[in-house]
Amino acid sequence: MSGYIEAGYIVTLGALGVYAASLVGRERSARRRLPAPRPRATSTPVTGAAAVEAPADGGRSAAPADEGRAATPPGPPGQGG
Amino acid sequence: MSLTSPPVSPVGTTGPPRAVEAPTAPGAVAHARRRLRTRADAALFATGLVGVAGVVATVWLGLWVTPPDQFMGNLVRLLYIHPPLAWVMFLAYGVSFLASLLYLWPRTRSARFDRLAGAAAEVGVVFTGLTLVTGSLWGRPTWGQWWTWDPLLTTTALLFVLYLGYLALRRVPGEPEARAKRSAIAALIAFIDVPIVYFSVLWWKSLHQAPSIDLTTRKTYVHGSMAWTLLLGFVSFTVVFAWLVAHRYRLAVLEDREEREGLALALAERRAEAAEAP
Amino acid sequence: MWRDAALVAAKDLRVELRAKIGLNQVVPFALVVLVLFGLALGPSDTELRPAAAGLFWVTVLFAAVLAVQRSFAIEAADEARDGLRLSGLDAGGIFLGKAAAVAVQLIVLELVLALVASLLFDTHLSGAGLLVGTCVAATAGLAAVGTIYGAVAMGTRVRETLLPLLFFPLVAPVLLAATKAWKEALAGTPSHGLGWLSVLGVFALAYLAIGTVAFGPLLEDG
Repeated sequence: MSGYIEAGYIVTLGALGVYAASLVGRERSARRRLPAPRPRATSTPVTGAAAVEAPADGGRSAAPADEGRAATPPGPPGQGG
Repeated sequence: MSLTSPPVSPVGTTGPPRAVEAPTAPGAVAHARRRLRTRADAALFATGLVGVAGVVATVWLGLWVTPPDQFMGNLVRLLYIHPPLAWVMFLAYGVSFLASLLYLWPRTRSARFDRLAGAAAEVGVVFTGLTLVTGSLWGRPTWGQWWTWDPLLTTTALLFVLYLGYLALRRVPGEPEARAKRSAIAALIAFIDVPIVYFSVLWWKSLHQAPSIDLTTRKTYVHGSMAWTLLLGFVSFTVVFAWLVAHRYRLAVLEDREEREGLALALAERRAEAAEAP
Repeated sequence: MWRDAALVAAKDLRVELRAKIGLNQVVPFALVVLVLFGLALGPSDTELRPAAAGLFWVTVLFAAVLAVQRSFAIEAADEARDGLRLSGLDAGGIFLGKAAAVAVQLIVLELVLALVASLLFDTHLSGAGLLVGTCVAATAGLAAVGTIYGAVAMGTRVRETLLPLLFFPLVAPVLLAATKAWKEALAGTPSHGLGWLSVLGVFALAYLAIGTVAFGPLLEDG
């Protein structure tokens, strides 16, 4: 009988751990694929958008609301990166 | 795909500019330090720590410290994680529903809510799967079967497929706003079905069995250290949920950016190659 | 809005009458599914008869997906969707009209299917009132949900596989309730099935309301 209990705990912790690791991994590789320097061919409207963007909404929970602000890495000023 | 987006975009996605990411390995450590310095990042990291600590404590308490139940024996230990997982599942879908509502409401329309809805739903699906697995693992030694058409379990199974469909819909390519809008509507429809599904399945099942369904007995005999452990379980898994949704949300921001700028980047690379070639 | 609904429903039904896709393809498809069920579960009547109601409704569900696909396929041709948007018809009316057209086709199908099913599964169709009432309520719900999801999946290229995936889990309560209601009717205790009938009614009303409201935004996106 106890086998089921351990299996339950292991599966739960394992799955959550794998999922968390995959999230972090995907984030890292996405960041790597989006380097700081913007393509020279385009103007960067992003600066304007960032400046105009409203401050964090009264989101669902603290964490996602925080993340809305710190979400994206390389910002426009890093142009010549 | 446009190379420039309008200067004032209601679908603005980028946060305030941060320190440039050093792409090379030697700068990686410095870069990691710079990243952690951001307050939001620190908050997120702390949340993660708290979540992990809570879960570890729950596991320790649940597996070793608490006594076996007088009726269920050691099987009660699964009850320290199964109900919390189910609770987080409902929480996740609720968040997705609210975020979708907010997205559809013109005054609060923002890509943030669309991303939040998607992030919450994806994490919700993970927890739904875990709820099913732990429920099944509980059912096997208790009733001798891997699956019983228990109202909650059946509802969970339906929710699993329902939201898998929702996630599939989100991945269908298209104009971002159109995609967000139809995803939001799909989320609304799906969530409204949840109570209907639950009550239908409840009546469906209860008509076949004496009303003394085990569902109610699950919580009534929990007291003392077991109650605290259960509470800790609820809280820590909720914290873990928040952490996962936050990271999934960040990933969504990056993915959106990649989608918008991917073409521009590729073009620039081609041009750079062409310039170098001769 | 109601007049627009009637207009759209009439148009859809007229298209169907001329093309006869429903008659030529959806009904035979449903009949084949019934026979397949018979093959899978039969030939002994002891297994088929109790399952008849459930098998009937599962088949209806499959046919409903096809009917909805068809309903939106006719809009895809010849830029008809843009025509719809430009026509100035009320979005809620368009929704109700399309849903009504799908519902009518489904009811006709259910009539045929019920007769064939009672034949194949050796079931006597008693409790006709409840049988018919269930069909009406369930079909309304199916048509409403189908039309909403049809619009959601409309612009996408993966419509064929996405629509069933979205549709079936959502209408699970309809399947449950309709099967139970029919079982009570077939067992000669229709009064027990009234509770299920009300579940179907609630479902249908809820999704008809949602569809009427949500259809506008859905139509706007290309």
